[in-house]
Amino acid sequence: MIPEDLRYTREHEWIRVEGGAGVVGITDHAQDALGDVTFVELPVEGAELTKGEEACAIESAKAAVSIYAPAGGKVVAANEALEDDPGLVNTSPFGEGWIYKLELADPSEIASLMDAAGYAAFLAAEEEQ
Amino acid sequence: MAGMHGMHEMAKKTALHDRHVALGGRMVDFGGWRLPVQYEGVLAEHRHCRAAAVVFDTSHMGQFMLRGSDAAGRLGLIGTQDAEALRVGRCRYGFLLNEDAGVLDDTILMRLGADELLLVVNAGRAETDLRWIEGHLRGDVELVDLSAAGWGKVDLQGADSAKVLAGLADVDPAGMAYFGVARGQCCGRACLISRTGYTGELGYEIMAAGDDLRTIFDELLSSPAVRPAGLGARDSLRLEMGYPLYGHELTEDRNPIEAGLAAFAVPDRPFIGSDRLRVLAETAPARRLVAYRAESRRRTNPGNEIRCDGRAVGAVTSGAFSPSLGVSIGMGYVEAPFAEAGRQLAVDTGRCELAVVVCDRPLYRGGTCRTNDPL
Repeated sequence: MIPEDLRYTREHEWIRVEGGAGVVGITDHAQDALGDVTFVELPVEGAELTKGEEACAIESAKAAVSIYAPAGGKVVAANEALEDDPGLVNTSPFGEGWIYKLELADPSEIASLMDAAGYAAFLAAEEEQ
Repeated sequence: MAGMHGMHEMAKKTALHDRHVALGGRMVDFGGWRLPVQYEGVLAEHRHCRAAAVVFDTSHMGQFMLRGSDAAGRLGLIGTQDAEALRVGRCRYGFLLNEDAGVLDDTILMRLGADELLLVVNAGRAETDLRWIEGHLRGDVELVDLSAAGWGKVDLQGADSAKVLAGLADVDPAGMAYFGVARGQCCGRACLISRTGYTGELGYEIMAAGDDLRTIFDELLSSPAVRPAGLGARDSLRLEMGYPLYGHELTEDRNPIEAGLAAFAVPDRPFIGSDRLRVLAETAPARRLVAYRAESRRRTNPGNEIRCDGRAVGAVTSGAFSPSLGVSIGMGYVEAPFAEAGRQLAVDTGRCELAVVVCDRPLYRGGTCRTNDPL
């Protein structure tokens, strides 16, 4: 399951660009590898992030991982529903399990991210390793 | 997202390995063995154990059979369990200690007969334990490493486990007391069945030869009440009960007194480490093992510093999200004045200082392990 309308990072984040903003989450592959998400440390609204900077963190019953910013910008929203129900990241990674929203500093940065086909090929290559 | 990849090489496979793979188990290395950390998911498996029953493959654990007229006498000098006083058909938790009363391993000793005892030990310590015990054996006693001979073990755990087992075993599970053990048949296969476990729920451990264990595992899973569970759920279940895990709460640098487990190492007879235990018992320990819970779901991790008013007073040994309590829980050693229940402390998780409160063990109080009415 790799939605066509998103862009992807090598760290398994996705970003959905809507005008000058981008909604960020982790992919289905990522949530499956993590297992049951037990806690999401949401980014602080107003935080200024540069592309590739750590935005927040996710803990699962098996692991803890950092979530990076797919592009630079200011955090304008965080998904507070995840505070009580972090399992939304597992059940709806591309929907209700979104993590935060960025006001993009430079929308042209999105072009450097993988599209769905590129991410599918990236996953296939990772599998082979 | 990063840091999800692990290495796996040279680990041993249990007799149930093909079952785990067929069931979709996520295989990891643990104590030198390939074992499933989860099947459908840690949280679901944890909850199913508390609500119904699950089965774990615990074949990685060491099983040492000791036979001979001197077996009980010698074992009683090596480990903290009083093997000679242990009645046939009973099990006892205890330790192998070094001369300094440091914990070499925590074990379950089962008295199968007057001259026959089974010692169940941790996977990661099995080789060390074997050398240690063999080095201290004298007289008429023979030690057989059943694990090396292909024996394995499954743990059936959960309130429904007696109902499940009653239909499969010729031993009456409801008639077996907590920490009882009996020889019998399960699914027509010879085995040992003990009413023991590591979850806090009513449960049974079933020990059998590898071929027989496969049949038993398959039959247990054919019961609609039973699901397979992996190491992840096993860890969160034991942590909710405040049970120690070797390598975390117990090491060669910890003694049973500071771990709050002095009742399982009473130096009223000579055994390795008993002299030191008597000396240690004369003064209150400087540090104590505590269990704690947070208000948040944020996990604490082994090695995290425990603080009081900004000052380091201890360190975390285990941490996990508690599916039953809905918050982060953990255990750790703290300076004794900070160990009483209700004490507010903080844990430096590396990302923030998390408020926690010291709690009595067990943290989860709904466990069915001691029930007198298993059915």
